[in-house]
Amino acid sequence: MIELLKKLCLIDGTSGGEDLVRDFILKEISDFCETSVDPLGNIIAVKKGKRTPKRKIMLDAHMDEVGLIISSITEGGFLRFKTLGGINTSALMFRSVRINGKINGVISGKPIHLTHGEESKKLPKADSLYIDIGAASKEEAEGMVRLGDRAVCISDFTECGENIISKALDDRVGCAILIKLIKEYNEYDFTAVFSVQEEIGLRGARVAAYSVNPDAAIIIEGTTAADISGVGDDKTVCNLGRGAVVSFMDRATVYDREYYLAAINSGMSVQPKRAVTGGNNSGAVHLSREGVRTVSLSVPCRYIHSASSVASLRDITSVFEVCKYMIDYIANDK
Amino acid sequence: MDIKEILKNLTAAVGIGNIREATDIAGEYLSRFCDVSYGSDLGVIGRITGERDYTLMLEAHIDQIGFIVTDVDDKGFLTVSTCGGIDLRALPSRQVDIHGKKTVRGVFCSTPPHLSEEDVTFDKISDMKIDSCLGEKAKDIISLGDYVTFSSAFNELSGDKLCSKSFDDRAACAVLIELASRFEGKKPPVNLVFCLSDMEEIGLRGAKTSSFRISPDEAIAIDVSFADGPDINPEDCGKMCKGAMIGISPVADRAISDKLIRLAKEKNIPYQTEVMGKSTGTDADIISVTKSGIRTGLVSIPLRNMHSDCEIISVSDIISVCDILEEYIKAVE
Repeated sequence: MIELLKKLCLIDGTSGGEDLVRDFILKEISDFCETSVDPLGNIIAVKKGKRTPKRKIMLDAHMDEVGLIISSITEGGFLRFKTLGGINTSALMFRSVRINGKINGVISGKPIHLTHGEESKKLPKADSLYIDIGAASKEEAEGMVRLGDRAVCISDFTECGENIISKALDDRVGCAILIKLIKEYNEYDFTAVFSVQEEIGLRGARVAAYSVNPDAAIIIEGTTAADISGVGDDKTVCNLGRGAVVSFMDRATVYDREYYLAAINSGMSVQPKRAVTGGNNSGAVHLSREGVRTVSLSVPCRYIHSASSVASLRDITSVFEVCKYMIDYIANDK
Repeated sequence: MDIKEILKNLTAAVGIGNIREATDIAGEYLSRFCDVSYGSDLGVIGRITGERDYTLMLEAHIDQIGFIVTDVDDKGFLTVSTCGGIDLRALPSRQVDIHGKKTVRGVFCSTPPHLSEEDVTFDKISDMKIDSCLGEKAKDIISLGDYVTFSSAFNELSGDKLCSKSFDDRAACAVLIELASRFEGKKPPVNLVFCLSDMEEIGLRGAKTSSFRISPDEAIAIDVSFADGPDINPEDCGKMCKGAMIGISPVADRAISDKLIRLAKEKNIPYQTEVMGKSTGTDADIISVTKSGIRTGLVSIPLRNMHSDCEIISVSDIISVCDILEEYIKAVE
């Protein structure tokens, strides 16, 4: 699992630019299931098990990660950008980026020594930052980068005991879990969707849910864990190492109560998401066609949407196990 | 010498507090061309004997900015103090190497989205914790007084530009190594001392003792200085790829500055001037007031994103610094 996750995390794939992630996943799974790619780029993978459940089950993980899109090039050869997905400005300042998977750059701004008074204690506006690729002129930069090209903040993939530090854990953890399910789970049929464009508004999952037309869905995600120094227990949302996070409600979805309770009472390594924050592809999937009964299982991630997200391998395994349990549960549900 | 290779090796190494990796690497390079002696701190000195009994010291600092651990809690979060000027605003979610019993990777905590406030003020390092990712096991590996440094990698940008942590001041250390190599087997007109000092980032301390020990007849400090970028006042900075920045300041001996400028002009070496109204914020400030006073010059390499973990320099600027200093050495009277 960890080798698979490492490969997935180190591929660059921002919203609408998931191509390399898609190519990698297709190569991994095509011997184990029927695959197709829809017009927006979602992978729809039909996995045959020993039995066909009464309810059609769809699993979803999104392929895209947060990143940047190049919006203009200055006379001096610096690149201006917009964010793809929610990234805090402090996670952008003075970060090394990679454009189109190959060109190195640095998100730069005014160095602190040249700021004055309050300016040196406040975050600059995101639109005052720019990417320096070392180009000395607009012409030189234009020879290397086109408008609309993508950049991601780069990171190593580091194992620290049970924990991992990497970019893109949201949601390559979900992709890794789905790939492993396709390879190893054989009880019931299911359809796995590797979706595009989650970070900019749940766009891929919306059309995939329409095509797949499931009765029930399981969304596999990474979710914010705030179990860090200085945050009270009532505000941590979920904790690393305590298992799969099951949501009863977030900003996009009120989840199917029965499925939520089934997961929470499974006796497995699970924890509730203890806040109504954020949202994921459930928001699009549960409203598809005449409605889809939806449950969400997440891996707790600290510093999510930064290039230094932290997750626990133990939780990833828990989500994998609980996901198998929930497929069985939904398949056998009256 | 492959300057890029030297830069890569020097910036990958750690040099802070009691961690001597960078000193050892720089010392190994210098020992190919000079007699090398080590100080009790991170300092290292290379000497080449010249034609006459007059000593020119060329100085850069080997230490880098970082942090020192002041507390380790039960959940594996560290409180740290800064060693050198750190932009606190850019710390959240930044990766660091924690040099405990072994070196482990950590991450500066960032405020989760649901707890984020609009108008945050970053003014206290004690509020910014490092997640060691080790949980309760952190105390087995990390102790108070351990050092923490940025963990970023070395990358090449367009043209001849490079990006790395610690170019301040390893880029200047590379200049000294390159200069030493240029005088290998030759007898320079005067004694040359290549001095790599410690503790510049915490207050120009290493240069105080090393210049006392060496007691040169004159000295030139080599450091980095601000290069241009959008939103940076052109009067506050030098220009990338426009050559060595020759310092002009009350601290810097005017005759040395003038001679550097004259030689650059004569030999067609790219240069620019950097005029400062008071002290320079470099080791030149302290070297010049050592003992009964030492005539000191300052030459800087233009650098972008100073004190971040992705500082940018241009190889051509480093070469022009080497070229000007080589001419200066040949012309010492």
